[in-house]
Amino acid sequence: MDIGAIWDLIALNPMINSMVWLSSILFGSFGLTIIALTLVVRGLMYPLTIKQLHATRAMQALQPKMAELKKKHAKDKQKLGQEQMKLYKESGVSPAGCLLPMLIQMPIWIALYMAIIRVLAVTPEDFLNLSQRLYDLPVLYSILPLENQFLWMDLSRPDFFLALLVGGTMWLQQKMVTPVATDPKQQAQGRMMLIMMPLMFTFFSITFPSGLALYWVASAIITIGIQYFVAGWGSLKPTIEGISRLFRREEKYTRRIAEAEKVPAEVAVEADIVPEDIEQEEVLPDARGGDKRQDRERGYPDRLRTARRRPRRGRGRRPKRR
Amino acid sequence: MFRRNKILSVKRLLLIPVLLLVVLAISGCLGAGTRSLGWSGVAVSGGDLFFGSMDGKLIALDSSSGNPRWQVSLEGSAEGGIGCAAPAAGVGIYGTPLVAGDLVFVSAYNGRLYAINADSGALRWVYPHEGNLEPIAGGPALAGDKVYFGSFDGKVYALNVATGEKEWQFETGDEIWSTPVVDGDRLYIGSFDNKLYALDTEDGSQVWTFEADGAFVSMPLVYNGTVYVGSFDRYFYALNAADGSLLWSFPASDEEQSRPGSWFWASAVAYNNAIYAPCLDGWVYVLDAESGLKITEFDLGSPVAASPVLAGSYIVVAAEDGRLHIIDGDSNEIRPLTDLALKVVAPLVASEGIVYVHTQEDETVYALDPEARLVVWSFTLQ
Repeated sequence: MDIGAIWDLIALNPMINSMVWLSSILFGSFGLTIIALTLVVRGLMYPLTIKQLHATRAMQALQPKMAELKKKHAKDKQKLGQEQMKLYKESGVSPAGCLLPMLIQMPIWIALYMAIIRVLAVTPEDFLNLSQRLYDLPVLYSILPLENQFLWMDLSRPDFFLALLVGGTMWLQQKMVTPVATDPKQQAQGRMMLIMMPLMFTFFSITFPSGLALYWVASAIITIGIQYFVAGWGSLKPTIEGISRLFRREEKYTRRIAEAEKVPAEVAVEADIVPEDIEQEEVLPDARGGDKRQDRERGYPDRLRTARRRPRRGRGRRPKRR
Repeated sequence: MFRRNKILSVKRLLLIPVLLLVVLAISGCLGAGTRSLGWSGVAVSGGDLFFGSMDGKLIALDSSSGNPRWQVSLEGSAEGGIGCAAPAAGVGIYGTPLVAGDLVFVSAYNGRLYAINADSGALRWVYPHEGNLEPIAGGPALAGDKVYFGSFDGKVYALNVATGEKEWQFETGDEIWSTPVVDGDRLYIGSFDNKLYALDTEDGSQVWTFEADGAFVSMPLVYNGTVYVGSFDRYFYALNAADGSLLWSFPASDEEQSRPGSWFWASAVAYNNAIYAPCLDGWVYVLDAESGLKITEFDLGSPVAASPVLAGSYIVVAAEDGRLHIIDGDSNEIRPLTDLALKVVAPLVASEGIVYVHTQEDETVYALDPEARLVVWSFTLQ
């Protein structure tokens, strides 16, 4: 048995059959199937993803110390290596901690990706070959071909809007995990990486069947969610804060405008809050009633004078600075 | 120093797309075979032979020698892409061409049906006259002054043979990959909506439908007033041609023998009151035409996607791996014909005792004599 046959047996065929079976309980919709299977596989891989994210964060935290070591032992590579290993040991971080979970996940992602391509069966040849991969379950044979129409998309054809969505979600995902570099050279590299990956995947999405793009979008959104729960917004924090500030400012303005509009009504309400005994006092024969403007607080009883708020207009204003 | 660093970083950045391309190639494209190539059968008329090549050409050969007479390229689809998963730029020809009078009709995956002069290869007309339909994977059928075909848009079209004008169309519930069959004033065609339709050839009105649990891709066979057709639900059905009622059904899956069965993709052949039904599980089931009882079965060891053909009293069957067998219709004994060792998916065609095979690997057309069990001639496309 060659390596291709082994791969098909243990990875690709189970993935294809799971996909077809899942579609049978999701109304034969291939779009829903892609999203659901991505979700399921992501869920199963969750412990590994978490491990990888923690390890990556720990590695990122060590970067300033690493930079220091590099500067310090720039001429002695051997010493640098020793010191780096020492630092890893002391901080309990292993570089393999980032790689190992990723390496374990890679075949599963590749199998999922290949399964989508095969089940999409863009050409009659692909469709014919699909029959050779099905397990002995009546529903698997009957449900095919799957419904390629999902929302506005034909999943066997490229979709421009979805391609843009791929680029956008990938950028967000990348941005969250890109550390803020202090070195300008690293900063430039980080910036390039941040643009490069989403751009490339957008380009692929424009040319590939949109079923794949749907998988990329679903996968990126789930990753963003996981990253958020593990490490918050990361490098995206300033952007998010900026946006929320913008919203807050807008909210503030709206509130102010609303308050300003409310002012006359409030004044009226203030005027209506009159203690019960005022009426009695106002009818006293020696009391000065009527014109409050001329009264200058003298028309109020003493106890009310202290309680009365200062007039809003005129006197409350600050003098203009010259 | 700065320059060196810059070069290094540029190199590093260039590595990213290269790595990505490699990953995509390994993960998605290897062996995916996502280019639409076609599996056109061969049409024989007089001394000429016509077939659609996998690079989108209609080729005419001399049937006695295999020498090429002419070839015409059909327009490729406008769609294309960098990836192997993207739709192919060339036009695939999946349906077997049909010859009627001085015209050859050929349907293509670019969603067009062409009427081409059989002598010169000149285009007489094309349908639609402008633009194109959804892809066409089945071949055309002819009856009287009309030519019929089905498309991925789920519609059956009837066109005037002389002008290519549409006479009528009938809409089914899903894509059509099947080649229609005309018997008298009825047209039979299967659809992905799990239904087999019987239509009136004159006006396209529906006479009856039969619904199964799986899609219909294979071309139905009409024999002694019965329609025989296999489905994706792994059942082979016999239906009354008059009203579509089910006469019997035969399951390809067999629990007792732990045989899962598979789709019925190729069309069946009838001889001497027996139906020879090939299946993608690699078996050819020989069934009694009236009762549906299994007379015998043959294991070819590889899926059978190519429709078999009747040559005299022989049923010639091709497995996908290129091994051809002869089943003697009188004795129901099987013997090997030849091993082409090339992929065979296209339907087999027989004319005057010669069987023609179009291979999908090393694209070659073979003319075989089943009686003498030898290759008369072969024509390989460069």
